[in-house]
Amino acid sequence: MQSRLLWIAVALVIWAALPFFVPRNIADLLVFTGIYTIAGLGIGLLLGHCGIVNLAQATFYGLGAYASAYCTVMMGLPSIVGFVAGAAISMALAYVIGRPILRLTGYFLALGTLALSAIASALFFEWDWLTGGTLGIGGIPKLNLFGFVLDRPSRYYFFVWIVAFACMAAAHNLVDSRSGLMLRAMRDSSTAAAALSVDLQSLRTRVFVVCALFGSLAGSLFAHHASFVSTQSFGVDRSISFLLIPVIGGATSIPGIVVGALFVTFLPEFLSKLGDIHQILFGLALVAVVVLLPDGLMGAFGRLRTRLAARQGNHAR
Amino acid sequence: MTLSLVLQAIFAGVTNGIVYAFVGMGLSAIFKGSRVINAMQGEFAVIGAMTTVLLLTKSGWPYPAAIAGGVLAGALVGAFIEVAFVRYMAKKNASEDSFLLLTIGLALTLSASILFFIGRDGHLLPPIGGEGVLLVLDAVIQFHALWLIAIGIGATLLLRAFCHRTTVGLSMMAASIDADGAATTGINVGRMRTYTFILGGLLGALGGILVTPLISVDYTLGLNLTLKGFAAAVLGGLTNPLGAAVGGITLGLVESLAIIGISSSYKDVVAFSVLIIIMILMPNGILGRAGRRGG
Repeated sequence: MQSRLLWIAVALVIWAALPFFVPRNIADLLVFTGIYTIAGLGIGLLLGHCGIVNLAQATFYGLGAYASAYCTVMMGLPSIVGFVAGAAISMALAYVIGRPILRLTGYFLALGTLALSAIASALFFEWDWLTGGTLGIGGIPKLNLFGFVLDRPSRYYFFVWIVAFACMAAAHNLVDSRSGLMLRAMRDSSTAAAALSVDLQSLRTRVFVVCALFGSLAGSLFAHHASFVSTQSFGVDRSISFLLIPVIGGATSIPGIVVGALFVTFLPEFLSKLGDIHQILFGLALVAVVVLLPDGLMGAFGRLRTRLAARQGNHAR
Repeated sequence: MTLSLVLQAIFAGVTNGIVYAFVGMGLSAIFKGSRVINAMQGEFAVIGAMTTVLLLTKSGWPYPAAIAGGVLAGALVGAFIEVAFVRYMAKKNASEDSFLLLTIGLALTLSASILFFIGRDGHLLPPIGGEGVLLVLDAVIQFHALWLIAIGIGATLLLRAFCHRTTVGLSMMAASIDADGAATTGINVGRMRTYTFILGGLLGALGGILVTPLISVDYTLGLNLTLKGFAAAVLGGLTNPLGAAVGGITLGLVESLAIIGISSSYKDVVAFSVLIIIMILMPNGILGRAGRRGG
């Protein structure tokens, strides 16, 4: 327990010092890691605890981003209104669509969410009075926290990550709560859970709504960071890369989500130094992770640690 | 809304629908034979079409030979994927989700490879049967569309005959229905799974080659075709390749008839909304056969 606290303290110190020692572009990537962690957390809850493959997260990410962009740029409202509006719209949409669509299972549900993402990205493109279409909406103001303008990546970094930690704590509490127990029961044997009077339908819808909330929050944070949003950021490919976050990191582990978010933000950036071939290498890296490490990087790390511990135990004897 | 407009829409719908049907039949054949949802089925179409384009323009092959080369390329990639990845993962009892993710990763890799090695330009193939058109009640129908319909019907009948009349086809069906039972009668189940991937690659590539005179093929086409083929397969009941043919044509018709009333840019919105609604309301597909299993 003592060593665990020590590790957490060390990690916190590194986290707090990081933006002051890294170049601006790395600080920028770390901001994106935070944003992607928030979006990935929702998908991780669905995938790891409900067994649901959600390929629609870019929809809610887009809703959050456009709500923030529209409220601040077009209507001149304070940025908090954009956050709240995005979250409210996303959660309402997730509830209305989730009720019928979550009756599907397995591949059909995955396809249903993918179709949802394709519909949303077509609508983002067509409703240019709202979204600006391919031209997008520019000039979204930086966030202003009690007169303190978060205009540099190193400043925004702290804000985004504090939100991300709050979301992680919320996700952790959800998993640890009575609902979390019901979730696990549902994932492992939905028939048995239903027999114990767990309302599967409403439980799944609730997690879907939480996932949408995280997605929308991440989208609003993205809009205020990039200060420009356009349809290119919210396509089906973005939904796929969001799904990769929990898959690569390990869906059931909350630190795993951070690892996955680091993977999808940093790896393409480092590979892009190798020239145009980087997209191929990213695809291959993904295939390698799926084939060789089926329970994600955190799962592989956990196995390694158990093996090392076992070896030390043998030496001690 | 005039009669000729409706007729035109019906023909466009059937033409597109046959392309979706090819992608969907391949997807469905692979799902039936291996329980893998192949999210890179559309990439088979892109591989087939691109190979044909390259053989025709760069190597100067005659058109029929280039088409054969394209179909062969699709089949080879299908076999490679089964032997290199799916076999290993099946041996380790990988979950259904990880197969889905594997094929998503392969789809990303392949579309990035096409962007890197061939470039971002779209390519067109010459229409089969020449540039001519047929006028039916003022509706313009390309000869290519007629060829497409004929090839579509022919391929569906051939696939049916292959599954029901040949030893290999029957063995593949047996292996997919009951792997253990098939193994006890001496069927090499693993090899049958390789064959289903070859079949899937072949059908996907053929669909891609047939659509390329109508829509130019580039590295982004794969994902859209995968989605439409997936929709076609689900409409047909997923485990029934012939159902996918019906599903594909239904999807094409719904799309093209819907855009008479609404703007054509809402085509995908309509197609995917119909898909979601049918999945929820008709869980066994429009043919209503039992035996669909989604996971």
